[in-house]
This record gives sequence, C-alpha cells and structure tokens, in this order.
Amino acid sequence: MGNWSIFNIRLLKLAIVTVALWAILSPLSALDFSDGTASGTVLTIITAAATQDLAFGNILQAVPKSIGYNNDASSAIFTITGEASAGINLQLILPEYVSLSDGSDRMTIIFSSTDAAVDTTTVTPSTISASDGWINQNPYYLPASAVIGSAGTTKIYLGGKIVPSVDQTPGTYSGDIVLSVSYNGS
Amino acid sequence: MPELSINKIKMGGAIRNWYMAALFVLLFAANISAGVLVAPTVVFLSETNRTGRITLQNPTDVPQEVNIFFSFGLPVSDSLGNVSVILQDSVTGDPKSAMDWVKAFPRTVVLPPGGNQTVRLVIKPPDDLPDGEYWARIVVRSQDARGTVPRADDNTGISTQLNMVIQTAIMLKYRTGELISNLELTSAGARLDGNIVQVMLDMVCRGNVSYMGILHSRVLDKNNNEIGRGKINLAVYRNLRRRIDLPITIENSNPPYRVEVRITSEGRTDVPPPDMISGNEIVRTLNLE
Repeated sequence: MGNWSIFNIRLLKLAIVTVALWAILSPLSALDFSDGTASGTVLTIITAAATQDLAFGNILQAVPKSIGYNNDASSAIFTITGEASAGINLQLILPEYVSLSDGSDRMTIIFSSTDAAVDTTTVTPSTISASDGWINQNPYYLPASAVIGSAGTTKIYLGGKIVPSVDQTPGTYSGDIVLSVSYNGS
Repeated sequence: MPELSINKIKMGGAIRNWYMAALFVLLFAANISAGVLVAPTVVFLSETNRTGRITLQNPTDVPQEVNIFFSFGLPVSDSLGNVSVILQDSVTGDPKSAMDWVKAFPRTVVLPPGGNQTVRLVIKPPDDLPDGEYWARIVVRSQDARGTVPRADDNTGISTQLNMVIQTAIMLKYRTGELISNLELTSAGARLDGNIVQVMLDMVCRGNVSYMGILHSRVLDKNNNEIGRGKINLAVYRNLRRRIDLPITIENSNPPYRVEVRITSEGRTDVPPPDMISGNEIVRTLNLE
C-alpha cells in the first residue's frame, strides 16, 4: 500500500511537471486559435527576432566607422524561424541618420549595396559563403527568392557605416532598424 | 524519519531538479531565439463573421512594446519569377483593399516577459460589395519596451543605439457572397542549368478569391526515375510569375528529362480546412528546353 502510494505520488508529480512544461513550451512552435466558425492549430507561425544589435562602439569625430555584415561581434543579426523551405518576404527599413534624443544633432548612417547577407544554413557572419544563401546583398532589396532554411531558420546579417562630422556633438545617437517579414505563400 | 519517506523525498527532489534543469535550458533556448509570436498566419473574416482575433505572445525575457496597424500588400513577381510583398501603408485605392474597413483592439500593448495578449479584429465593410475576397495585411510591430536612456557620461563621447524593430505581416481576408477559386496556368517552361532545373510558371487567378494551394514539381528521367522534386505553398491573388529551382541528381540518370508540375488546393496544413476554398487542379508535363 505504502509503495503504491509513493509510486502514485511520483507519477502525479511527473504528470504535473510534464503538463506544466508542455503548457509553457508548446506555444513556441504552435499557437491555438479559434474564431466564430472554426478552430485549429497553426503549426508554422513565422517569427523574427533581433538576436544581435548593429554596434559601432565608440566613435570619434570626423572618423567614419564601418561594420561589415561578416563581423561576428558587431553586425546586426536577425533570426527568422518558420516552415522549412517556405518562401518569405524580407524587407528592411533603414535610417538615413541617427539622432540625439533631444533632436539637437544627428549623424549620417549609410548602408551600401553589399552590406547584407541572408543565411539559410545558419553558419556565422564571418563564415557565410555563397552556397549558404546570399552574400553581398543590397539591404534595401533583400533577395526576393529568400526562403526559410531547411532547418527552419534563416538569418540576416547586416553591416553599415556611421559618418560623424568634425563637430559632431558627443552623446548617444539612436535610430530604428525595422525588419518586416511575411510568408509569400499565403 | 521512516526510510520510505527519506527515499521519497530524495526521489522527488531528483525528479524536480531534473525537470527544473530541463525547463531552464529549454526556456533559455527559447528566449534567445524567439521574438513576439503572432498566430494565426492568415485571418479569415466573412459577412457572417465580422470579428476575429489574433494572439500575441512574448516568449522573451524582456518586455516588448507591440503596435498593430493595417497595410496592403500582395505577393507580386518580377520578370525572373522572384516573389516579393511590398507593404503600402497609405490608402491604395485598390478595389480589393480591406485595410480601411478593419480595426484592432487594442492597437498598442506592452507585453511582459512570457505574456500573452488577444487582439480583437472588427471589420465594417461597405454594404454593396461584389462577391469575392478583400485583403489587408495585419502588421504587428514589436520592439524592446525598455527604451534607451542616454547615460550621464554620454557627453564625453559619441556612441549609437540602433533599436531593432520587428514587423510581422499576416494576411487578412474578408469574404462575401459566392466564392470561386480558379487558377489558370498561362505559360510554363523548364530548362536545365548545371544541376538545377529551373521551372518558370505564369499563373492568373480567374476566381474571385485568391488561389491558395501547393505547387508540387518532380523531375523525371527517360526511365521515369525521379531525380528531383520540390513543394511550395502558393498564393495567387492576380497574376504571378513563379520560378522554382529544383536541384537534381544527374548521376545514374538517363536524359531526356521532363518536369511534372501539379498545382492543387489540397493539402495546406497552415489553413484550417473550413477556411480553404477548394479550387481546380492543374497538372502539366514540361520537357526541358
């Protein structure tokens, strides 16, 4: 009787923890939805995340500074997950300048026609080659034939150049880099 | 303390520790890879069901500021068969645009770490709409809600803070009246380029709803051996030129090669069956140029 009770308690604990784990983790790959006429489970939601910011570090007046998309530590990295091999639309909206929070000064930021790469094999910025996706891409026109990689993930690497003036006001300059993603098969 | 009780405590602790370790590992893995999740991937509304909802979830460990707005953008293609979606935020004047009819509640929300939010959608279309389907994009824009406050010592140097903003655009389709899904394959061709078979298809939507389906393609050799295949989800709203690149295995195969193309509205797993409008099937065999 005692052993049976202990077994039941252990089983109950296992069940509770398993259910809790499932409840917490299952939304990462699937979200239930319902409306007035139908209900079901979406298995292949598309998600994107900025997993690394574009970081220029300390900047000196009148000294432009470039970060290549192949810089492992400082390039921007976006990670897109979804249905493997599905066609996706990627669109970057990039700032032409960054500005101080009070708007008193601004600084030019430039993205050249080869400042981006799209990686469907999830290597690293410094090791990506043409066979891993698309290299030396124009960030304003990312590849129209982009897909989610066979492992369910695609990454975008982005570099850029900051151009401070000779009398650039010291301070922290901010701006937005916007990535828009969508499936193109729905 | 009885021996059984001690064992029970030890066993319970071990199980708890193992599960907690697994939980932290998995949650950490989730946090470093996920943004704000949006479901479903397509929202369907109709004249009998003018409200809907999307679910947002923040699996990250930082609060996310989320804005919801509407746009218009259909998959369009270039002469090379590449497909893109250009979002237009202003009123487009497109007779098929539903972006001015739909509203979201709430439109702005701050999602705490692990938080969920249901966003209600309400559509108020004009009364005299012709039968068919009307479209808008629901754009969910999210970014770290913590913001950046310049430090006091910022006046000693120059630095940048680039805010990474993510927009997920999902399709909203409003349907009314009698619905017809029909696709025409107006031209098709295939050619061999090294170890890649390039298939080019020109399609026109002839129904009054977008044609949603799957495009299957197979490359066969002279002896009907399959040496390559592909499968993509397809959505044709008006005209679409689509290129498919099929890697093939030439070794031990015998030319001439041909491509079998099959387009069907069956088999989509990302759309609930009640929302699928069954359409025609197209089967075509293409000889390589």
